[in-house]
Amino acid sequence: MDNTKPTIDKERRVFIKKVLEGTIAGSLLLVLPMNAGGEKIPEQVAGIRDGEYDLTDHDFAFIVDITRCIGCGSCCVADKKEFDVPDGHYRTWVERYLKDFDGNVYVDSPNGGLDGYHNPRTDIDVNVRDTFFVPKLCNMCKEPPCVQVCPVGATFRTPDGFVLVDHKRCVGCAYCIQACPYSVRFLHPVTKTAQKCTWCYHRVRKGLLPACVNVCPTSARKFGDLKDKTSEVYKILQGPGVFSVLKSDMGTWPALYYKGA
Amino acid sequence: MQSSYYSHVIRIVLGIVALAVLGFIGKTVLTPKSFGTYGHYRADAIEEEANIEIRHWTNAPCFACHAYEANLHLYGTHKTISCEFCHGPYADHVTNGKKTGVLPVKKGEDMKILCLRCHNKAIQARPEAVIKTVTMPEHLKDQKVKLTHTCNQCHHVHAPLKYINRDKQIVGMQGDS
Repeated sequence: MDNTKPTIDKERRVFIKKVLEGTIAGSLLLVLPMNAGGEKIPEQVAGIRDGEYDLTDHDFAFIVDITRCIGCGSCCVADKKEFDVPDGHYRTWVERYLKDFDGNVYVDSPNGGLDGYHNPRTDIDVNVRDTFFVPKLCNMCKEPPCVQVCPVGATFRTPDGFVLVDHKRCVGCAYCIQACPYSVRFLHPVTKTAQKCTWCYHRVRKGLLPACVNVCPTSARKFGDLKDKTSEVYKILQGPGVFSVLKSDMGTWPALYYKGA
Repeated sequence: MQSSYYSHVIRIVLGIVALAVLGFIGKTVLTPKSFGTYGHYRADAIEEEANIEIRHWTNAPCFACHAYEANLHLYGTHKTISCEFCHGPYADHVTNGKKTGVLPVKKGEDMKILCLRCHNKAIQARPEAVIKTVTMPEHLKDQKVKLTHTCNQCHHVHAPLKYINRDKQIVGMQGDS
């Protein structure tokens, strides 16, 4: 009996190989027609498409590596096109920081970085010590001031950690816009309801990365589930590296981390 | 005397009860169905947000049809760049599996602007380890080409170093022999 074993294993191996090839080819055929809402695209955030989505079983985090951001504005372009953001309003934007030797900080963001940065700053005459780009977006606070102030329960924090706006319920009082310490909210000029970055909740629920993360050419933006111990963000947040959140003294507990800040 | 005393108390109590009933009915009618499932908000709004159609479809569906570009793009130094950044979102190109629009291809001066969004050395804060940058007229002079040259006359936009490396190889071979 011992002699027959290797041949059986070999056959099994060939069989599994063929099945796998068939599956891959079959999935490719499925990819070609493309009519559903994104289910045919390879999964980018692991574990979302496995069975029923459990709202309470996820804890998402966003990491922006400012040492890798080159200020190309891909993220801003993708964001504007993903949501048809009206001109003059930004769900995400890129700021340019300049620091001199006296500790002064100069920040500018022409058109939110949407057109990219083509020229160095000429309006200030300082000896530049350090300069870097800082992309800004919703911080998805664990204690969101915007949710606290909403009088009609139109903005809320979902069990899986996203701060969203209910556009059917929002009355457009703009209280949340004043409350947000990070100024990520604006009143949509057409619908007259509050709008903000959602970390592309509609994409994440389909197993895809947010549009800005997907287009970032230098991987300066990272997104993932902290409850998934194998996820990239989990590994990055374990260090090494300096991580910080914006305005930590305000007690908002953001889920957006900045690396190298 | 006594009966009139009670009647006005009963009227007040009845009034309060009527108001409470009216208030309760009003609240049940006006509160959305899923309000309060998870907190002080409409739980259905989560699913409504999740069901929004995506507009950027990642590179995979692009490569499914554009095999020639895929073959260049996936093996070049531009492999991390999203198709949809330069060409626009997939949703403007294909709807329900059918081609519905033509996406722009940047040409000439527009393309130069697009290239320099990332590769302009004039902007500091672009570490050499992350991206290769050039200063614009100087790079053309250094390479001994006309100042009117556009980037894609030397660099293939999908695989910028493909032909340059190949040329170097050919030149190197000639040098050796």
